[in-house]
Amino acid sequence: MSILIDEETRVVVQGITGNQGRFDTKLSLAYGVNIVAGVTPGRGGEAVEGVPVFNTVRQAVESTGANAAVLYVPLLGVRDAVIESVEAGCKVLLATTENVPRHDAVAAVAAARNAGAWLVGFNTNGIISPGKCKLGGIGGDDPDAVYPAGRIGVVSRSGGMSAEISWALARGGYGVSTAVSMGGDRTTGRSMSEYLELFEADPDTDAMVIYGEPGTSNESQVGEAIRAGRLSKPVVALVAGAFQENYPAGVSFGHVAAMIGDSADTATAKRRMLRDAGAHVVESLDEIPVLLKGLVPQTAAPRP
Amino acid sequence: MKLVEDSTKQLLRSRGLPVPAGGVATTAAECAELARELGGAVAVKALVAAGRRGKAGLVKLAASPDEAKAAATDILGKEIAGRPVERLYVEKRLDIAEEFYVSFAFSDRAPKIVLSSKGGVDIEHVFETEPGSVLQADIDAARGLRPWDATELWSQAGLTGRTLPTVARLTAELYAAFVALDAQMLEINPLAIDPDGKPCLVGAMMEIDDDALFRHPELAHGPSRHASENPRERAVLEANRAYPGGDSRYTELEGDIGLLVAGGGAGLLQHDLIVGMGGRPANHSDMSPAPGTEKMEAVLDAVFTNPRARSLLIGYNYLQMAPCDHVVKALVKSVARNKVDATRFPIVLRLFGPREAEARALAATIPGIRYLPPGSSLEDGARTIVTLTEQVRENSKQVAGQ
Repeated sequence: MSILIDEETRVVVQGITGNQGRFDTKLSLAYGVNIVAGVTPGRGGEAVEGVPVFNTVRQAVESTGANAAVLYVPLLGVRDAVIESVEAGCKVLLATTENVPRHDAVAAVAAARNAGAWLVGFNTNGIISPGKCKLGGIGGDDPDAVYPAGRIGVVSRSGGMSAEISWALARGGYGVSTAVSMGGDRTTGRSMSEYLELFEADPDTDAMVIYGEPGTSNESQVGEAIRAGRLSKPVVALVAGAFQENYPAGVSFGHVAAMIGDSADTATAKRRMLRDAGAHVVESLDEIPVLLKGLVPQTAAPRP
Repeated sequence: MKLVEDSTKQLLRSRGLPVPAGGVATTAAECAELARELGGAVAVKALVAAGRRGKAGLVKLAASPDEAKAAATDILGKEIAGRPVERLYVEKRLDIAEEFYVSFAFSDRAPKIVLSSKGGVDIEHVFETEPGSVLQADIDAARGLRPWDATELWSQAGLTGRTLPTVARLTAELYAAFVALDAQMLEINPLAIDPDGKPCLVGAMMEIDDDALFRHPELAHGPSRHASENPRERAVLEANRAYPGGDSRYTELEGDIGLLVAGGGAGLLQHDLIVGMGGRPANHSDMSPAPGTEKMEAVLDAVFTNPRARSLLIGYNYLQMAPCDHVVKALVKSVARNKVDATRFPIVLRLFGPREAEARALAATIPGIRYLPPGSSLEDGARTIVTLTEQVRENSKQVAGQ
């Protein structure tokens, strides 16, 4: 199994006629993803890479039974695009757009959550359940190189780090059940601990690896979930950005969200809090597979 | 972007919200004149985007134009955060019967309201001494804050009678302003009620979401985050304005290891690793995807012209979409332009993913460059640059000693 997406996922791509939409659609089809429809208002009736294009998500869902949406939509349209897919009945959505204005982001998140839909993003490069499905550009033109299938769940605040973690796992003989770049913006559809609770319930996930950053309360909620007993599988945590503590608060060095607001938001405070809660805190990628060897069996053939 | 008080109050006034009459003065004489126009009794405040001005002695109450003049002379001589106070906000003083506190901001996923019946004082102090009198609630952004939601909250906070609906209605209007103005934070303290039961927003602070400034051209004159005193940082910001695609970030630091790192996350981790191994970065950087190489070249030019930099690490996360040779094309141009000798100024690349073979071939045209072998980890990249930079530092000491 896996979380959120699998062989049953039927994908509609909003903005399929744009450059990014077209490019990712081609690579996703090559990976075997069930992309059943695209949407661009005014382009209904056309086809992209053999995928039929519709004018609205509702038309696409009615005609093709799509149940997940990938959004390649510019900043100004992203709030409405999320709400459109939610109203059309899509239950998993992925929004790649970054630096979404906060009021737009929270309105889209509220619409999705109120409908029981799962919004991945904002500012994500995707989610992948290896060998089954992927949404977004994650894995590029060769997902197998970085994301072999296995039994470790990965949740990362950064798309690049989701790849680095999965690749480090692969080098150490582990594969992933699902890897998700949950979004690097401050506002994301779901919190890190909500993803981990899905992995907790997934019989095919043995352990989870998280990548966190300064700012936001995502990591502290993971700590609370472990302490409250909602997470019993091993959680390995890498939290970067400790160097920022040498500089004045409010300076952002990467993701805008990774800005230190108060002392509980620093990488050092988050590491301490996670360790106290019972997570396995590492400071480098190479430690992850070594640590896992004492906790769970290997799940993929070791790689050179 | 933090707004100063007169901008905040003008924006609220333009939405029909009750704000005291006031104006801006830059000299003591102007201040006295304004006080006369406003009826004599005024508050004189330093016009700076900072909180807790009262504690810093930057707010004074005056009963007459003469007192206002004296207050102005006093405040105009002061400094805040290293800058002299140059402008004052002069505001009519009201008779206040009751004072409340209300603010809007964000938690990770939703707008948040904080309110208290104890207004007019520092809310953090109130929260420490009487936590029960401060109420907080998340707001469903899909629905907004309705007047009856606000009535519910203020009634929990202890308001009754005529004051309750007055304050609740105003609170719902303030939330609408918070949304319409794309504010990141809006704080009213105090929200005052006069002896006739009329409300007024006496203290108001607002911060606008930088990511939404593009749809508020009326605010564009404010202090920009796109400003820097450092010429190399400024050049990168100029490149961001001049070319399409995602922005580059370049922040100069005190060390000697130049960094071209990307992927918000991998960039943070590499920086941590370098510091942990005893290295000191000369800058931090972050790249977002852009069609051309100009913004990347701007960061490379900045590293190569930074007098403190002795080396460069180009450390990317495993690339999934962007081609590796895109980065090396920018490097080749910037190395040539700045006449960099990579045998003396170490350049280390950790760059894997699409078009890696092409990137390696192109990089090989730069003598002395180190392109790490496939499978090298982020740790390997950090270790290599720290070691090489250490050698350069030692060599330069020896040269200086000879």
